[in-house]
Amino acid sequence: MEETILRVKNLTVIYHGGKEPAVHQVNFALKRGSSLGLIGESGSGKTSIGLAIMGLLTKTATIEGAVYYQGTELGSLSVKERSSFYWRKIAMVFQNSLETLNPVLTVGEQIEECLRRHTTLTRVESKEKVKELLIKVGFDPARGLCYPHQLSGGMRQRVLTAMALSCDPDVLIIDEPTTALDAGAKNEMIQLLAGLHRERKFALVVISHELPVIANLTSRIMVMYKGKIVEEGKTKDVLKAPQHTYTRGLINSSPALNPYRDLWGIPGAREEATTDGCNFFPRCSQRLESCKNIPPRLEDVFMERKVACHRGGIVTLLQGKGISKSYRFKGKTIMACVDCEIAIRAGEVVALIGESGSGKTTLAEIISGVLAPDAGEVFFERERVSGHNASARKNGLQIVFQDPFSALNEHFTVEQAVREPLEILKLGTLVERKALVKQMLKELQLPGEDEDFLMRRCYTLSGGQRQRVALARSLVLEPQLLVADEISSMLDPSTQANMIRMLKGLQNTKGFAMLFITHDLMLARKIADTIYVMRQGRIIQQGPVSGAFSYLTVRDGSRDTLIEK
Amino acid sequence: MSQGLSRKIIEYALTFLVIVSMNFFLPRLMPGDPFTFLSTEEGSITIIYTKEQIDRYKAYYGLDQPLLRQYVTYLACLGRGDLGYSIYFNETVGRIILNRIPWTLTISIIALVLGGLGGTLLGSLSAWRRNESMDQGLYLIMIVCSEIPTFLVGVFLLFFVAARLRWFPLAGGITPFANFKTGFARFNDLAAHAFLPIMTLSVTRLADFYLLARNTIINVLTKDFMRTAQAKGLRKRRLLFRHALKNALAPVVTRAFLSLSTVFNGAILVENVFNYPGVGRLLREAVIVRDYPLIQGVFLFMTVTVLIMNLLAEVVYKQLDPRVN
Amino acid sequence: MDKRRQVVGKLKFTSRLALVILLVVILFGLGADLFAFHSPQLPSGPALEGPSRVHWLGTDDLGIDLWAQICQGARISILVGFGVAVLAGIGGGLIGMLAGYYGGCIDRLVMRTIDLMLVLPDLLLMIVLGAFFGPSISNIIIVLSLLSWAAPARIVRSRLISLKQEQRVTAAYSYGAGFWHLTRYHFLPELLPLLMVSNIKLVGKTIVAEASLSFLGLGDPTAKSWGIILNHAINFSGIYFTPYWRWWVLSPLVALTVLIAAIAVLSRDIEKIINTKI
Repeated sequence: MEETILRVKNLTVIYHGGKEPAVHQVNFALKRGSSLGLIGESGSGKTSIGLAIMGLLTKTATIEGAVYYQGTELGSLSVKERSSFYWRKIAMVFQNSLETLNPVLTVGEQIEECLRRHTTLTRVESKEKVKELLIKVGFDPARGLCYPHQLSGGMRQRVLTAMALSCDPDVLIIDEPTTALDAGAKNEMIQLLAGLHRERKFALVVISHELPVIANLTSRIMVMYKGKIVEEGKTKDVLKAPQHTYTRGLINSSPALNPYRDLWGIPGAREEATTDGCNFFPRCSQRLESCKNIPPRLEDVFMERKVACHRGGIVTLLQGKGISKSYRFKGKTIMACVDCEIAIRAGEVVALIGESGSGKTTLAEIISGVLAPDAGEVFFERERVSGHNASARKNGLQIVFQDPFSALNEHFTVEQAVREPLEILKLGTLVERKALVKQMLKELQLPGEDEDFLMRRCYTLSGGQRQRVALARSLVLEPQLLVADEISSMLDPSTQANMIRMLKGLQNTKGFAMLFITHDLMLARKIADTIYVMRQGRIIQQGPVSGAFSYLTVRDGSRDTLIEK
Repeated sequence: MSQGLSRKIIEYALTFLVIVSMNFFLPRLMPGDPFTFLSTEEGSITIIYTKEQIDRYKAYYGLDQPLLRQYVTYLACLGRGDLGYSIYFNETVGRIILNRIPWTLTISIIALVLGGLGGTLLGSLSAWRRNESMDQGLYLIMIVCSEIPTFLVGVFLLFFVAARLRWFPLAGGITPFANFKTGFARFNDLAAHAFLPIMTLSVTRLADFYLLARNTIINVLTKDFMRTAQAKGLRKRRLLFRHALKNALAPVVTRAFLSLSTVFNGAILVENVFNYPGVGRLLREAVIVRDYPLIQGVFLFMTVTVLIMNLLAEVVYKQLDPRVN
Repeated sequence: MDKRRQVVGKLKFTSRLALVILLVVILFGLGADLFAFHSPQLPSGPALEGPSRVHWLGTDDLGIDLWAQICQGARISILVGFGVAVLAGIGGGLIGMLAGYYGGCIDRLVMRTIDLMLVLPDLLLMIVLGAFFGPSISNIIIVLSLLSWAAPARIVRSRLISLKQEQRVTAAYSYGAGFWHLTRYHFLPELLPLLMVSNIKLVGKTIVAEASLSFLGLGDPTAKSWGIILNHAINFSGIYFTPYWRWWVLSPLVALTVLIAAIAVLSRDIEKIINTKI
């Protein structure tokens, strides 16, 4: 049970005529009965790995590295020797399309020819075996005489599966087993494959961009981006707590894993990737300058998890430990925060929800350094937050307050208000400051090019406009973390909706992290990655919002009470 | 299936009717009185019809009767298999044509089979070894062959192989007045006469099928199912013949049926180059002596044969390609 | 004009050569009287004389100059080839466009007719129609046009139908564009290159058809086309065993082969250029 059946070592595939490798230095090993999922956007090289293992790219690509089947290197075999491995030991279920099966041969014949080629069965015996195989995959054996075009997508998928299983392989590679199927057929297919895997104990490789398929069929997962593995680990853990920003983006983009939340794709590249740096550099939200030039190696970050990232995976931007705070009010001591623990990772939206008076604003102010805690510590980028050391700088931490009316100096012009932090910190020349202000206002969908608007006094603005100006003032310092304290609660529903969508959009493209404080669970669920629930100064629940497995606990805990308030 | 087929048959019946009607109206649309034409001089051969013969023609065409009546009579005659009477040959048109059909069909069918099989095989091979020097060379030769007019090929062969090298008889279908001792000798003589006409016809067919097969198979080889088959570790022979060629079979076999019309075109030319006693040569003789019923008979025979082959092509296509249904 | 220059610029050496050959044949054909000093109809020397300074390609059995006949034949080939290409190309193109654009009954009728036309052996039809209506050059052009419009019509129709389904056309249609606007701005630029290729092929096919017909001795007996020269030559008894074939048979044979090969090479190359552009 413990022997390694398939080992892929430093596999690199470069298609003829292509510059970039489609697969770059991929390593993995599979034991009997184990399973591995390969996910990634289309064109990430998942299928090329499967085809390379099957020896199908020898004519169209240059292949480096090696594939071993129980110690035999498959690339070194002669054409004759190969036939005793391919299909007999390693078989593949190709991606289902009308053209995957030969349209002018019956499906029965296409299964039978594998048996005739690789086994010693007689004609009669192989016909019998074909029937058995078809029954096994839930396909009416009488329809073995059908041609592929007479079958539905689900039926064809079953035929492809039966064909791959025909010689009882030790390794089965399945490419996108559910793409052509409707929801019902999808579930059936997953059940079938899971059952076959349990029963036959082959090593299984599932290639898919559909996370639920991977989640259901595999125990380990590898995430691919542009031919490279960027994250590797146990499927359950990776999906629950992705360590690479790309993996997180994939999970955020999956409707199946995000039944309630708005979908946000991974933003496109802002610049060309350099050839020697990290592939994901142009799209990464926590990149450093050094990422541009040095390729990251796939390294262990903790048990059973590898990530290819110079920063060791998604960094924890802010950590609050044992934060407590109490007020004395009319002789009574009110515990606003009791031993609160909070962690915010780069590029992540954390929602802190609770009824009014639950202490969430206090916590937010402690985190931002506005308020000093009675006990406990806050670290921003591993540095202790005290006073304004985290907020009085570029790329730091910024807070936006609930009340837009008191947050702005009413007599400032719009330009002055937004420019204020730049002036305080003496950043850039006057011209640069003005340009930055204008651009920021435009990104917040305010008429930044309009000189009249820039000269308007803040008291002439509406609540929604003021809140945007306040946001612009915070974002002009390009913070890594934005603490947004009930910023939409004083706005009417339509203005609120616009504001939240705009903010989430900015967050997604700019990639900053956000602590979003609200009393509205439904709103939080729309935009947050992680939710913390506070009640009477304590954090009573926390967990990722994505996926059904995480949400149930939150709902049981506090949904009803929160909504009714 | 059967509904589609019956619709096709109706369509073809209508087409047939159009052709028959065309055949009926042709002599009646001729400029002027067609029979003044009959007695004029044409080319180097002078045909003079007597008054009696012209009257027979007029009676045959029934020109004194109303058009509709003529048409009905014409259809009725056709129904009985009566194609008219040739004054020049002094025999019924049906019988004359029937005597010539075996000659034409023999060389046409043999050329079609030879060219079809050879072309398909060479084309498959070429596709399988695409871009190798064999493929490149063959491709170039075949393109040239497909463009050269049939009669030029015929004249060329006649000059060099028959006249200069004297490997084959110059003309005719069989040595005249020969007394064959055995059936084998007779067959030999027939084959020697038929050889060059068949070769001439085959060249164009060969090129045509070669290009078709090469194209189709190159296309098939890029399909996903060929990759599937390759992954299954099947032998090359099975890949090429069972998986690739079976996909190309439907268009190739259909083309075989459809190309009969081109083969007939070729046969008309080739038979005249080699003085081969088939229907094509008959047609030219009939035109030169202005034997209108005979011209019409040949026209009808050829078009109807081509139409039937087309209908067969559609039926066969359905049999060969399971996707069409 | 600019586009045409681009296409010419992309031609390979072989097709440039082909283009030159085609132009030379057209020149000799149109200027037959200028380039040939003897009559193509009347004897101008002793019979069956080999090539000499007076008779560049020799004479035939009646003593008629062969070079004059070849030039005359070029004129007929060009006349028939281009005449039919223009008539059948424009007519077929128009029919195809109307059928494709309006669809419905017209389309079905046109398609059936096209099917019929493509099925029937064209040489047979030509012979039969020639026999009934007289094989003069103008009749041959008309008959060949009647037989040849189907191919361009079918090509234009199927391309038009696929164009009609493109969204830019749907968009233009939704703004109220009519047949003429769509044709001018959306259809013609796409159809003309196709039609051009199909017409060049048609020229080749037509020249072969006319040559075949006159080779059989069934063409216009008054027109000295290459087919007829060949016909006379190989019907001259004993031609195979005399040296006469060297000029009498070879000259029309080579002329025809070179012209047809030139047209074939040219059409293939232009087709390739257009296909890669689309």
